[in-house]
Amino acid sequence: MEPQLSWYLALSAILFTIGVVGVIIKRNVIAMFMCIELMLNAVNLTFIAFSSYFQDVTGQLFVFIVMTVAAAEAAVGLGIIITIFRNRETLDVDDASILKL
Amino acid sequence: MDFNNPYIHSVVLIVAISVAFLTIMLLCAFTVLLERRVLAFIQGRLGPNRVGYFGVLQPFADFIKTMMKEDLNPDQSTKFVFMLAPMIAIVTAIMAIAVYPFGPLINLPYLGTFPLRIAQFDVALLYVLGVTSVGVYGIALAGWSSNNKYSLMGGLRSAAQMISYELALGLSLIGIILICGTLDIYAIVQQQSGWYGLQWNILYQPLAFILYLIAAIAETNRVPFDLPEAETELVAGFHTEYSSIKFLLFFNAEYINMITVSMLATSLFLGGWNGPGVAQFPLLGVLYFFAKVVFFLFFYVWLRGTLPRFRFDQLMDFGWKFLLPVAILNIVLTATVLFFVG
Amino acid sequence: MTTILFILFAGLAIGCAIAMVSQSNPLYSAISLIGVFVALASLYVTLAAPFIAAVQVIVYAGAIMVLVIFVIMLLNVEHEEPRRKRLRFLVPAAIGMAAVLIGETAFILYSVQATESGVPRTVSNVGLTQSIGVGLFTQYLLPFEITSVLLLMAIVGAMSLARRNTILSSTARVVPGAQVLAMDIDPARAGKETVETETTAEAAHLLGVEFHSNQENGE
Repeated sequence: MEPQLSWYLALSAILFTIGVVGVIIKRNVIAMFMCIELMLNAVNLTFIAFSSYFQDVTGQLFVFIVMTVAAAEAAVGLGIIITIFRNRETLDVDDASILKL
Repeated sequence: MDFNNPYIHSVVLIVAISVAFLTIMLLCAFTVLLERRVLAFIQGRLGPNRVGYFGVLQPFADFIKTMMKEDLNPDQSTKFVFMLAPMIAIVTAIMAIAVYPFGPLINLPYLGTFPLRIAQFDVALLYVLGVTSVGVYGIALAGWSSNNKYSLMGGLRSAAQMISYELALGLSLIGIILICGTLDIYAIVQQQSGWYGLQWNILYQPLAFILYLIAAIAETNRVPFDLPEAETELVAGFHTEYSSIKFLLFFNAEYINMITVSMLATSLFLGGWNGPGVAQFPLLGVLYFFAKVVFFLFFYVWLRGTLPRFRFDQLMDFGWKFLLPVAILNIVLTATVLFFVG
Repeated sequence: MTTILFILFAGLAIGCAIAMVSQSNPLYSAISLIGVFVALASLYVTLAAPFIAAVQVIVYAGAIMVLVIFVIMLLNVEHEEPRRKRLRFLVPAAIGMAAVLIGETAFILYSVQATESGVPRTVSNVGLTQSIGVGLFTQYLLPFEITSVLLLMAIVGAMSLARRNTILSSTARVVPGAQVLAMDIDPARAGKETVETETTAEAAHLLGVEFHSNQENGE
């Protein structure tokens, strides 16, 4: 039995759920950022699966744009993380929950 | 022989992969010897010439000696990454050879025609660039997991250098992609055949060739860009703490990286297996291919014996402020010329 | 054959994802995430999207994760400490909600749909570089150009965030062996070129501060 479209969608849902669990559980800012990247990748998988199923290139173009946006977000996000670290000396999200340094 | 039959296809693939792997390992051993002999001649002395005729068995003797050494491991919690890093380095170095055509279509009497390559797919050039990008991890993780400040600095510097020059490497190849209209290395080599060598891409893209060579030398951490592993600067850089087999894996990974970028240079710029007389005797193509690869390896060793090394900030300035704009300029020029001519 | 490949790569992706979430050392999380990306790239190849697979390896596994690993190594991030008491409910709650979400997805996929869904093709012309190029440059040209502006914004943003705030202006040059005087310190020379001095004593004289040489007692 060939892998059905629903299998790919189920895999994407599972990866997305693991990403959400990671964002809730993790206290390190960098680890939370990585779980967000995992969620973006799960959505990419859905797009590619649909693009292959409907034989339409639009899904893959959307993935291209999502990857570019993720790269831009990674650069700026890590810059923000470095600035937070310089000011607070900690990468713990629970400690950074108030605006006061 | 019906190559569409999955069983025959898998047997042919396994044979092809084994032959290519063996060839690369032998070529790597030959490169080690080549470097030591040629470097010695440049420096006015003889290299190793005792172990076999002209020292031919020297790399194998080195291999046996290195195997016998003690395998040191750190007792910190980074043991897994310590063992993973040389594996990543050597695997990504060897993975790149899967897309290079070693010769034209060979016509054996009983077995039929088959091309001398492992795989041919549409995005072969992007595959090579991707595999090179993942190879950065081997060095960065090695530097970090050694728990040694010199290793960490060497590893991070080397990784920063590699990712900076990867950009120039990729951009310098876009001119070739514009001319040939495909990312498939097999097709690019096919397009360079005929016309007595006047179709080779080096004549159409000389600036890209020079940029590619410089970026490739920086990518493989060779002189003059080898500050991260210079003996006088950082002990030995990221592979300070490695010994025995793991050091051998790093050592060989560097030479195999050299071999793969040389293969990419010959396939894309010098016409791959093209040369006089290939149409009549296809096996000559294999000879020409390896002759060109060995020429590039000799060029690498020649540079090592001749040039001093860059300081790290000079290195990064050169990569970002000179190579990148010139590569973009090359793309714009190529696109303009193609627009008006083609 | 495709089924075996799918199960292999899907298992690898899910295993690496769970490893990423459960590791306490952020570097091991990063390495597991690289494993997820490579597994997903292999899945894209089986879905006839080779260009996107190669771009995924180059951009995600080869650039973004290198950046993350650099940041982890430079900031020297340690293990996570054990959670405070009042937030200890988070882990069971998150896993419980995840189980509910996965249960809902399974229910939708296997009970609500009446017929078997179709099979994504493994070999097609859609994923080739040429069709992606055609799509990017004809129908979707505007998003393509906007992403280039977005990347420029990201470059400017990252550079301005990561720069240390110093008193040296951007036109000051640091030359090894000489001293550099920042014009912001000396208001008389504000707006003019930087002044290079030969020794620290001269720079101190220009600044109007005292200078005690280390070499007063002989070399």
